[in-house]
Amino acid sequence: MTALNSTQVSAEMARLRARARRRMLLSRVFTYLVGILIAIWVLAPLWFIASMALTTPETVRSYPKSVLPFIPFSFETMRFFLQSRGIVPGVINSVLVAVITLILSTLIAAPAGYATSRYIFRGRDAFRLSILAVRAFPVVILSIPLAVTFINLGIFDQVYSLALMHTALTLPTTVLVIGSVFASIPYELEEAAQVFGCTPAQAFRRVVLPLVLPGIAAAAIFTFVMSWNEVFAATVLTVQNRTLPAQVLVSLQQSPEPYKFAGGFFMLLPSVIFIFVIRKYLFNMWGQITK
Amino acid sequence: MTDAAIALTKTKPRPRRQWAPYLLILPSLLYLAVFFAWPMTRAIRLAVWDETALLTLRQEAAAGSAAAGVLPQGAAVSLLDRRSNLAAEADLSGASLTETWFFVQGLDPGGNAVAGWAPESRIRVRTTDAAGAAIGGTVRPKLGAGADPLTSLYSEPNEGSAIAGKLEGSAAVSIGEQAVLEVWFLIEGEGEGERISGWAPSRVLQVYGDGVSGRIDRGDTGQLTRAYIQRMLNDRFFRPAFYTTLLLIVLIIPVQFALAIIMALVIQARLKFNTLFLAIFAIPLAASDLAVGILWYAIFTQSGYLNSILQALGLIAAPNAFLTADTRYWILIAIWLAEVWRATSIVMVIVVSGLQAISQEVLEAAEVFGATLWQRLRHVILPLLKPSLQVALILRTILALQVFAVVIALSGGDVVTVLANETYRQYYTLRNMNVAAAYAGFILLISMFSAIIYLRMVRSSEEASA
Repeated sequence: MTALNSTQVSAEMARLRARARRRMLLSRVFTYLVGILIAIWVLAPLWFIASMALTTPETVRSYPKSVLPFIPFSFETMRFFLQSRGIVPGVINSVLVAVITLILSTLIAAPAGYATSRYIFRGRDAFRLSILAVRAFPVVILSIPLAVTFINLGIFDQVYSLALMHTALTLPTTVLVIGSVFASIPYELEEAAQVFGCTPAQAFRRVVLPLVLPGIAAAAIFTFVMSWNEVFAATVLTVQNRTLPAQVLVSLQQSPEPYKFAGGFFMLLPSVIFIFVIRKYLFNMWGQITK
Repeated sequence: MTDAAIALTKTKPRPRRQWAPYLLILPSLLYLAVFFAWPMTRAIRLAVWDETALLTLRQEAAAGSAAAGVLPQGAAVSLLDRRSNLAAEADLSGASLTETWFFVQGLDPGGNAVAGWAPESRIRVRTTDAAGAAIGGTVRPKLGAGADPLTSLYSEPNEGSAIAGKLEGSAAVSIGEQAVLEVWFLIEGEGEGERISGWAPSRVLQVYGDGVSGRIDRGDTGQLTRAYIQRMLNDRFFRPAFYTTLLLIVLIIPVQFALAIIMALVIQARLKFNTLFLAIFAIPLAASDLAVGILWYAIFTQSGYLNSILQALGLIAAPNAFLTADTRYWILIAIWLAEVWRATSIVMVIVVSGLQAISQEVLEAAEVFGATLWQRLRHVILPLLKPSLQVALILRTILALQVFAVVIALSGGDVVTVLANETYRQYYTLRNMNVAAAYAGFILLISMFSAIIYLRMVRSSEEASA
């Protein structure tokens, strides 16, 4: 009687376990499916624009379009875009603005990031909160008065004056990212270096700096991408010295489709690659902020 | 908790002199004060402050003289008298009426040598030096019987100064110094129910052809004004832009958050190729809004991918025109999809970071006790994610208020318009900084309003559950 019961119980258990395993497998398959669907949703538009940009202008104008890309593969459309008026200067201006922004932003933000992660001081939370608030304020509202001021000061329509504006936009993010980079290096390392006879400055230079440099580089790249992508302020603050997005935006309505698609692809490419390289640090940064 | 967060809690703050951190954050604070706080207040000022609203009239024709009264910009005035005044180089603008005065020397009717200043209207220049400057001339004869036939020379280049001598018509003179003077007018106009008269420089006036009437072109004193805000409210694009912006927020944000949470759950399930999934989901993070607008234009344009795919599947016989003025809803759908595509990844990053901060045991415990996915989501994950979601919600709403390039790329900016686009139109196309600033201020106002509502909402629901 008892033996029978125990076999019944174990059979029941096995059935339950099998069902649980089946459900587990099912939910696993379902999760994969969802993940793959979302990945397709993200990748398909990129696939489309890439296949538009890397073919001949005739193919771009043709209809219906083939979902298979790059047939025929050609740099003709890209060449057409890059040879259009204002594009090469636009690229140069964009890079210049982004590089100046990157340098300014990193130089100003690094000390602040260090301070917020290494010291506890009165007003630290207020500082971090106000930095976050600045990040959330509309760009639109800054551009108009800065344009008026730049005109009055005679520095309107200059690469460096736009970089000054972009630095204001990127500074909060850079402070937060660099802060999270410093926070990920334990202070004990610095202390240990000092115990072994380093001065504080040496400890910083020999121990902390090598460890944070990749993170600071990531923050700098992020700054570069933000500046490279920015359209509104660039359009408002420049007339002759347009950056690439500003140039594409103002000529968008009068442009043929090959120009548009090549332009879109050309703007996407560097930022997607850069962000792909530094994605790890973005998660760190948001982990810090929402804490 | 993330690695960084753990490190932060473990990190012993450096016990050192306390001015160091302030010194370190000083550059950022200064920079943000100059390039952020200051422009922000300037923008608000531009929207509500009319810098040329009022013109102060003077009792004498001189900038330093006492005020005689105030007239508003645009007031019609009659010109009663004119006088020339020395003006600083900087004050002379294109709008100024100027008069050149010569310092002349000659013989008066009595044969005495006299010297003094006379306006160019009284002297005919006859000889010039190599550089073209006047060196000699004659006095113009006065026409008409009634007036004094002699031309007065003044001790200073100013009709109010003492008379240094008089010359007859056609008398030869040598010309010395020159002075460029600005013309001032004695004007009279209606201000606050009474007639006010006083002197004003020509640079702020617009003189009509008859020479005796004109209007005040711009004032020299500022005044609070509702005019720019009123013009924004009366702008024919204001209402469509406002409603479209709100509609887009309502359409985009819920879908975005649902999708972001699904993405985060997929990542949380720790599949094989987890890092690959994460990397793919994060790609749109880097994309500029203009590029994304163009990307979706490639899909929705008449010879684009959507039509191609639909036709290949046999669902349509001929390509549809999606992005035209007759199909506004398709433009809205395209903008909606583009924004969901572009901005979901930032929400996903925030949610994933938030999920990582929740201890794994809590999540597993709920699973062990047999809670379904929905139950776990509803009672464990979402409540714990609340701080992250709050930050994401505020950030996303404020950024959604600034959607701009996507709309331009997909609609051209006329058929479907949003507030940021109207700011741009006022600034760029209509060259109207003040109304543009009013639009920008309006965006700021909604941003702050929505942030406050979100903060309140979360707090009150916490109080309710406590």
